[in-house]
Amino acid sequence: MSIERKFQIAAYVIFISLIFAAPVIGDEFWLNRISKYLVYGMLGVAIALTWGYAGILNLGQGLFFGVGAYMLAMSLKLSSLTSLQQGSDKPVPDFMLWNAEPGAPTELCCINKGSFLWLPFQSQSVGLVLGLVLPVVIAGALGMLVFRKRISGVFVSIITLALVLLVRLVMVDAQPVTNGFNGLTDLGWLTIGGIEFDPYSRATYYLCAACLSLTLIGARLIVETRAGMILQAIRDDHVRARYLGFDVSLYQVFFFVISAGIAGVAGMLYVVVAEFASPTFMDLSFSVTMVVWAAVGGRSSLLGACIGAILINIIEAEVSETEALVEAWKAIIGLIFVLVVLFMPRGLGGAAHDVVRWFVRKPKPGQPFPALPQQSEVL
Amino acid sequence: MSAIALTIDGLGVNFGGFRAVNNVSVTVFDGELRVLLGANGAGKTTLMDLVSGKTRSTQGKVFVYDTDITNWPEHRIARAGIGRKFQIPSIFRDLTVRQNLEVANCRNPSVLANLRFGFSRAEADRVDDVLTLTGLEAEQEMTAAYLSHGQTQWLELGMLIVQDPKVVLLDEPTAGMTQAETRKTAEIINNLKGRHTILVVEHDMGFVREIAEHITVLHLGEVLAEGSVEDIERNPKVREAYLGSKGIS
Ligand SMILES: Nc1ncnc2c1ncn2[C@@H]1O[C@H](COP(=O)(O)OP(=O)(O)O)[C@@H](O)[C@H]1O
Ligand SMILES: [Mg+2]
Repeated sequence: MSIERKFQIAAYVIFISLIFAAPVIGDEFWLNRISKYLVYGMLGVAIALTWGYAGILNLGQGLFFGVGAYMLAMSLKLSSLTSLQQGSDKPVPDFMLWNAEPGAPTELCCINKGSFLWLPFQSQSVGLVLGLVLPVVIAGALGMLVFRKRISGVFVSIITLALVLLVRLVMVDAQPVTNGFNGLTDLGWLTIGGIEFDPYSRATYYLCAACLSLTLIGARLIVETRAGMILQAIRDDHVRARYLGFDVSLYQVFFFVISAGIAGVAGMLYVVVAEFASPTFMDLSFSVTMVVWAAVGGRSSLLGACIGAILINIIEAEVSETEALVEAWKAIIGLIFVLVVLFMPRGLGGAAHDVVRWFVRKPKPGQPFPALPQQSEVL
Repeated sequence: MSAIALTIDGLGVNFGGFRAVNNVSVTVFDGELRVLLGANGAGKTTLMDLVSGKTRSTQGKVFVYDTDITNWPEHRIARAGIGRKFQIPSIFRDLTVRQNLEVANCRNPSVLANLRFGFSRAEADRVDDVLTLTGLEAEQEMTAAYLSHGQTQWLELGMLIVQDPKVVLLDEPTAGMTQAETRKTAEIINNLKGRHTILVVEHDMGFVREIAEHITVLHLGEVLAEGSVEDIERNPKVREAYLGSKGIS
């Protein structure tokens, strides 16, 4: 095993140990906040997987996050007390009652035209399963459409961007079913096998830490398979890959779907931690923010993108403590982004990689240090 | 008599009225090395594009052995046994030299079949052999983007050898090479002879003499002549077609 490899494994081990050790140092409010950042870390991994490894810059990752979030939030909404204490023994979301036509039956089946869609969500497992399956199915269908047509580069970004905005519009517009702008609030707790995931409990924190760790390890392993290598080959030159016999679009769809699945799970976890789902998850700014996290952390480094997401959010939280800086935050993050793109195009992960390389292979005196590969511009 | 590996039958393409390749018929026998000669713009690259699926033909058919591959998608043509080297060398720049060959070494192209780690001893040996053949052993851990022009060409040839297609299409494999590099390329190609059926586009007559048995000359999208090296060099029609340029020298 090369020394670089050992460093890499050490970095994963240290990071995972750290997030599992974190509950020692903070109170429950701090833990709840960090849980959110771990979820953002998963989004960083999802972006890096498609952007760094497949050359697909998805500017609508928030779609998968949002869909995952809403699916679970619907289930949790129905198990919340506010839905159960509406004068009926069957749960009905409070906002549906507030907006119901006079005389409408106070039942999920028919309180309004779309309310029947909520029926299956009386079971939490339906929400949990759909929170993963729906993003995956949407990504699969979208991927088949886009990649089969050999759409690539900036056009994929534009299509994903347009789609997330479209879905956001529909979600806001379908107010009777989705509660529109207000989103879903007053949610119950997720309960799995008798364990209740109180958002401020350590159990919830560990759930997020475990999901992030599994995501990181799983994504790492999958890019190390032959398929992962072929995916990178396709990123470099899809024409060449075709003449080696690879059906390029299937590889792109496969990894696009995995990335969507990760985002879907992240969306569900976010709902558990933050106790709401909102159309803001599908704001363009949120999807772009994810890309910034990954760019700063290093788009071709899964761990780097993950740490980038967490770090930026920790810094943002610190900055918001100082009143003078709150307003400036957007400018600061913009500046960080520009600086990273200009001077560290491979982000923190790339920089870490370079440092390790430099220590491992000190250049012989008199010989220039071999230049490092520049990522070909993906956009 | 050996089997016919590649049959190009009346193949042509019409680019909005301009017939870059018109009614071209060529048959290449199993194990043969055929050189495709022709001035710039004669349609050599376009012919390879038609055979390998990059461009859709508007007339004629292409067969690999008995399989009709006319206008199939590229990856299926590749799986049917046609490998191709591009005129502008095309490799996976951000992968290492070894990884480039390993990608070519994934015999089963499906995603699920490739959800596994590493390569068997036999597969690794195969990559090692090709690294030796192409003289890239020392560079195997290097990022492919840093190879010299000649090395890049050899790497692409190496990928083809690992891929092991029945029919190999080589588009100007010595373009832009120094003499020493050209000689080495001839060596690699000679090494492939017999094991693969090869169709190679080439300008350099010295190089052609070194590798060729049989030549097909293309002119303005059509076959002008076909024959042995001597036949072609003596052919008055060919001399005329090259008139203005220095003749084939
Ligand atoms: N896609 C295309 N559309 C229009 N004309 C083309 C296209 N591809 C090639 N041609 C033309 O076909 C002719 C043959 O080109 P090419 O096959 O590249 O020649 P060669 O490889 O023999 O030098 C040239 O005149 C070229 O301009
Ligand atoms: Mg050409």
